[in-house]
Amino acid sequence: MSAARRPGAGPALRDWAIAAAFALAVASIVFVGHRNRELDARQRAWASVAASAVEHGEIPVEIDAAGVVGAARPSPRYPFLRQRWLVGERGAGRRLGGPDAPATDKILYDAAARCDAGGAFAALLPDGSGRAVAALPTRGGVAIAVTRPARPAPYPWLVVLGALGLGAVIAAAGALVGGRLRGVGVGIGGGLLAVPAFAWGGAATSVALAAGAAAVALASARGWTDRVAAGLGRHRAALGFLAPAVLAMGVLVATPFCVGLVLGFYDHRHGAWTFVGLANFAEILSGGGHGFDDPLNFWFVLGVTVLWTAANVLLHVGLGVALALGLRQPWLRGKGLFRVLLILPWAIPSYITALIWKGMFQGEYGAINSLLDAVGLAGVSWFSSWATAFAANVVTNTWLGFPFMMVVALGALESIPRDLYEAAEVDGATGWQRFRHITLPHLGPALAPAVVLGSIWTFNMFNVIFLVSAGQPGGSTDILVTDAYRWAFERGERYGMAAAYGTLIFLVLLLWTVFGTRIVRREPAP
Amino acid sequence: MRGRPGPIAAACTYAGLIAVTAAVLYPVLLVCKKAIEPGRQFALSASPVPTAVTGAHFAELLGARGGDGTLLFLRHALNSVIAAAAATAVGILLSCTAAYALSRFRFPGQRAALTSFLVVQMFPATMLLLPLYVLLDRLGLLNSLAGLVLVYATTAIPFCVWTLKGYFDALPRELEEAARMDGAGPWTCFVRIVLPLARPGLAVTALFSFMTAWNEFIMASTFMTDEARYTLPVLIQSSVGQYSADWGLFAAGALVTSVPVMALFYVLQRYLVGGLTAGSVKG
Repeated sequence: MSAARRPGAGPALRDWAIAAAFALAVASIVFVGHRNRELDARQRAWASVAASAVEHGEIPVEIDAAGVVGAARPSPRYPFLRQRWLVGERGAGRRLGGPDAPATDKILYDAAARCDAGGAFAALLPDGSGRAVAALPTRGGVAIAVTRPARPAPYPWLVVLGALGLGAVIAAAGALVGGRLRGVGVGIGGGLLAVPAFAWGGAATSVALAAGAAAVALASARGWTDRVAAGLGRHRAALGFLAPAVLAMGVLVATPFCVGLVLGFYDHRHGAWTFVGLANFAEILSGGGHGFDDPLNFWFVLGVTVLWTAANVLLHVGLGVALALGLRQPWLRGKGLFRVLLILPWAIPSYITALIWKGMFQGEYGAINSLLDAVGLAGVSWFSSWATAFAANVVTNTWLGFPFMMVVALGALESIPRDLYEAAEVDGATGWQRFRHITLPHLGPALAPAVVLGSIWTFNMFNVIFLVSAGQPGGSTDILVTDAYRWAFERGERYGMAAAYGTLIFLVLLLWTVFGTRIVRREPAP
Repeated sequence: MRGRPGPIAAACTYAGLIAVTAAVLYPVLLVCKKAIEPGRQFALSASPVPTAVTGAHFAELLGARGGDGTLLFLRHALNSVIAAAAATAVGILLSCTAAYALSRFRFPGQRAALTSFLVVQMFPATMLLLPLYVLLDRLGLLNSLAGLVLVYATTAIPFCVWTLKGYFDALPRELEEAARMDGAGPWTCFVRIVLPLARPGLAVTALFSFMTAWNEFIMASTFMTDEARYTLPVLIQSSVGQYSADWGLFAAGALVTSVPVMALFYVLQRYLVGGLTAGSVKG
């Protein structure tokens, strides 16, 4: 900021800039809404003119499709089907539809049917293309015209910029006079934007804008904006560095997250959304009329998920720690080779692991059943009962997940000072006592965060459940994330239910993270 | 040092390690066997030794052509590379400055920012699958690589922020302090001193981010419906679909797709463990 500028002018201009950016956003939204209404009216008028041109036997220009469509006649081969033919000079005698027909035939046919039923009309096509169709009854059929897609009118930036410039001048004048007039200047300058807003968006928008300007003026007079700006200025560098990632996360993560939260309050059937309030949550949490032993009951799925997470984390930690303890023995040979081979499952992409194990469990003669056969046991039809299918999932996920815990445990063991063991040995401690009083207390705090992380991974282990058991039998081995997926993509696109599931999954995870980290923190420090 | 253990304890340790190692290797060997053994069935015997050797599965995998005559495997591999590389580039570019700010500056809201990046990283993208699907549908980005890149960036950015912050934390601050004394601004410090020093960290982060996107299956399989837009995981999964399972093709595909990233993983894995646990301990 240059020293020559009067004090007070800078902050007022800054307030004005903030208000202007906000107003510009509001004005843009209002303008787009207004423009859409206007386009709608213009396209319909255009379609009507074109249709009456067709009625008079003229060929209108600048249209997508047009013609006089005859009355519906039964198809010669299938009398329950109705056919319509083009009449008049243009394309006369061609039947609508058929293998080589242009895509607009369907629009013409539907418009003719609608006109027969309800008389002349003009409407926008509901396909989002911005085309309008108009139809009027005429001699020998229905005259129909379909317009080309609407081209948007240019945004009148000049008007907005003019209002902004005039407002800036008023705000600056107020700031130069100083004192109370500073806030007044900002208020009047911001209020100017209400004028273009009134033209496009009506009274409500301009009142909102004026109220916004008044609020900014008040905040400016009270000195709040100065304080916020001072904070922003002091940490200018940090915030500037942070901005790209934060903005990207705002767009890429916060938007879908909020959309997901909102969608949970809607029901989606046959492509249409209806607001249903808390009905999805009520249906899910009440079990939706299904018994507690029914895989469609949320509580059943939650139970399976908790069991799944607990079983896997226990096995991961148990196996990982046992292997790490084994690998740490000083007399062990081939340590490096063991370590390299044992972390192999971590290196393999999880979807490939899941598919391999699915193949091994599948069928009467799968690899697992062949192994069982080799040791004289009867083969098992793994995916036809809950317990065996669940076991198959757990085996797969244990195979896939223990190396992470093993590596973390190895790291934790490395950090235990060797002299502790030597001292214990001198004091005559047994192997179990050394493990209980030295190894465990050191291992606990190091493993705790890994356990929280691992439990969240397992809770969300979509690939294993989806690819190995695929929920068989009858969806009973599904966990929450795969069940949510099925609501969205396999049970008639119940997107609302799936979104509500997503919200509930988020809440469960949030609770677990908060309490999980509490438990981690409570762990006594070594 | 502790003395040698009893023979029983030593035998038990070796037996346990060998048993688990065998259990780890067995499925991998079965896949290798299936890739070079003729036939579409997965395994008709428990033995991991192939009865006959053929290159037919690899030939079929690499030679399959789509409706328009392009080589499908090449096209899917290209899709995978583009999606993963673009997501990585977006992730690194957008996150390196933020990671530096979180590592070096103190400002209000820093803890909140750190925690939110961590939380977003821990809650996997599967949870956002449906809203992303609806949004991409509205934007007309379903079935397009651009949409997939945006989706992968949701995972890549928080991961890159956390991992890079770890690397920046480990860099000595003295060089920057000296530069500040000489009048360099934060941006100059970052571009001239920190970025060149953190080059290995940037490379490792980029590679991990790339591998994550390369191995992603469910998003790609949900968003990509057109066979020409598949990525490699979708191709591999579809080769053992519900109605026609060709395990030979699957095994060949699995080997071709995952051996490069596995090699990469082995080279880089010691960096990964440090980053993961450091992040979670501090969070």
